Amino acid sequence: MKPYYNNFFGEFGGRYVAEVLRPSLDELEKAYVDAINDKSFLEEYRSLCSDFIGRPTPLLYAENSTKALGGARIYIKMEGLANTGAHKINNAIGQGLLAKRMGKTRIIAETGAGQHGVATASVCAKLGFKCRVYMGEVDIKRQHPNVFWMELFGAEVAPVKSGTATLKDAVNEALRDWAWSFQDTHYLLGSALGPSPYPDMVREFQSVIGKETQEQVKELGLDVAAMVACVGGGSNSIGFFYPFLGKDKPDLFGVEAGGLSSQAGDHATRMDGIGKPGIVQGYKSIFLSDDDGQVIPTHSVSAGLDYAGIGPQLAHLGKTGRIRFEKAMDSEVLEAVRFFAENEGIIFALESAHAGAQAIKLAKKYSRDKAIIVNMSGRGDKDLFILARELDKDNWFSFLKKEINENAK
Amino acid sequence: MQSKLMTHMIAGYPDRETSLAVARAFIEGGSSFLEIQFPFSDGTADGPFIQEACDKALKAGFSVNMGFKLVSEIAALSDVPVFIMTYANIIFAAGVKDFLSRCKESGASGIIIPDLPPDSDEKLYAEGKALGLHVVPVIAPSITDTRLKEVFNQCGEYIYASLRKGITGQYTEIGEENLEFLKKAAGLGAKVLAGFGISTAEQVATLAPHVHASIIGTAFIKEIKKCIDNGKKDDIYIILYNKIKALLKA
Ligand SMILES: Cc1ncc(COP(=O)(O)O)c(C=O)c1O
Repeated sequence: MKPYYNNFFGEFGGRYVAEVLRPSLDELEKAYVDAINDKSFLEEYRSLCSDFIGRPTPLLYAENSTKALGGARIYIKMEGLANTGAHKINNAIGQGLLAKRMGKTRIIAETGAGQHGVATASVCAKLGFKCRVYMGEVDIKRQHPNVFWMELFGAEVAPVKSGTATLKDAVNEALRDWAWSFQDTHYLLGSALGPSPYPDMVREFQSVIGKETQEQVKELGLDVAAMVACVGGGSNSIGFFYPFLGKDKPDLFGVEAGGLSSQAGDHATRMDGIGKPGIVQGYKSIFLSDDDGQVIPTHSVSAGLDYAGIGPQLAHLGKTGRIRFEKAMDSEVLEAVRFFAENEGIIFALESAHAGAQAIKLAKKYSRDKAIIVNMSGRGDKDLFILARELDKDNWFSFLKKEINENAK
Repeated sequence: MQSKLMTHMIAGYPDRETSLAVARAFIEGGSSFLEIQFPFSDGTADGPFIQEACDKALKAGFSVNMGFKLVSEIAALSDVPVFIMTYANIIFAAGVKDFLSRCKESGASGIIIPDLPPDSDEKLYAEGKALGLHVVPVIAPSITDTRLKEVFNQCGEYIYASLRKGITGQYTEIGEENLEFLKKAAGLGAKVLAGFGISTAEQVATLAPHVHASIIGTAFIKEIKKCIDNGKKDDIYIILYNKIKALLKA
């Protein structure tokens, strides 16, 4: 693999876009490669990483969980402590600085769980951009707190009704906007997917997670046997795994959304042998699609993993076997949230809890002197409405009723 | 200067039978080319009206098999050439070569795939040429001169020029800028089919001296939608027929 820009990863990746977007992507590729090799740009990025995001994020020894599980030592990379609550801001601040360098004045983004939207809106407030975030109507409904935060940051949240009204449709809508607006607008894509240079660029900005982890592991002298991350589009996982891809150790696990069942429409497991090679939204990768090539609906309790495609580099690394793909079911995910809350006093985002669930399954497979590192890509504050409904329904509903009856006058 | 039209429709919208009526209205109304779009779940160049129509066609059971059957029935109606438009994943899922063979068998003259541009085309251009099908690239005014030449070298006779940036649907003002762009494309020797935002006879007349044909899509979809919303599906043929006559009149 080349250091900054690959375009293709094995057979996957590329830039399959209508001619109208080509000049913008050419321009973006040049600006990105130029910036990533420029010391002053990197200096600015690092300084905002520390002062604005709060990096480095800690690597926590999950001692109680380790004892409860009785196997390898569990460590948690606490990306959820980043400003705005998830890893998404690492990429948002990188691309925000790049957009500034390119002289853009407006930023558009797609969002699923709303974490990328919140990160982007926050960066736009910080760096002074106009901001519009596309979000599927289904996701707006289930992640309302994040809609509120985005608007508080001054962003406009544009509901997307087309298709399945989830993340993939928000990507489509952002691409349609960009086909009009590219002269003054940067499309701040939130995961390691889409046409090149996005998969390379997003990975590069997210690799800060893996690089920090590598240093922290060295400092603590850990013998790491496995690393685990959840995989939606793939930005937290590829950034977390990045420094370890060229070696054959540790074992790397990408965890997809198993949803309710393995029936079509009930899950988002693309790497389970069900997904097919395809070209969608500007890149070639593995997609959940039917025989005609129509993309099929997905489901996950976590909006952020509810997506039919996967970043091209991950698809490639799945094929070569460097990354193993597993899945966690909705029910296992809720259980994992509860487990880490009770044992460690931390609340995983539903997305990240997919990785947590896998770590619970893995603990006993490795010996006690080894370490397993879980990337907690986000914290669960945004999931309050879902978690409370699932874990404590009656109390929660009576609270909501009271809130409306007493305060909605 | 005689105006020519390329008329666009969506296969299976609102259903198979009506699609045939739409095609007949186009042919009998005097269209010079038919563009038949195979709906894709995630068409990123489609404006809101075309998206909605594609969603509806898919929900009503559109399949690629049905699309090809429809194309062969429509192609058999007349000598008006038929071009199939769709997106990369539909052709990639079938296999580029197999899909193109089916285009040929169904009697289509060419194919338009906006997200398989020359050099990221999965051999679309080479395979199309080998089968004697026109593969028509879609270009936009922001294209550089170098890229325009590159694209033209790959393609055959036709170029599909979108008259502005953005997606299909919204009205396009025709002025110096897009005419300059059309001149550049025509200057290479291409037959230029131009569209995106064309809905009036005045636009068609203004374009006529500069293009081989004007492409009209959303304007027809809006008419079809109006008929469906008013419960008057049987009127679709006559309304489209009259609309084409009117568009060609100015
Ligand atoms: C907390 C969190 N983790 C993970 C994801 C999935 O994205 P990715 O696979 O790009 O990291 C999201 C997406 O919204 C998220 O909010």
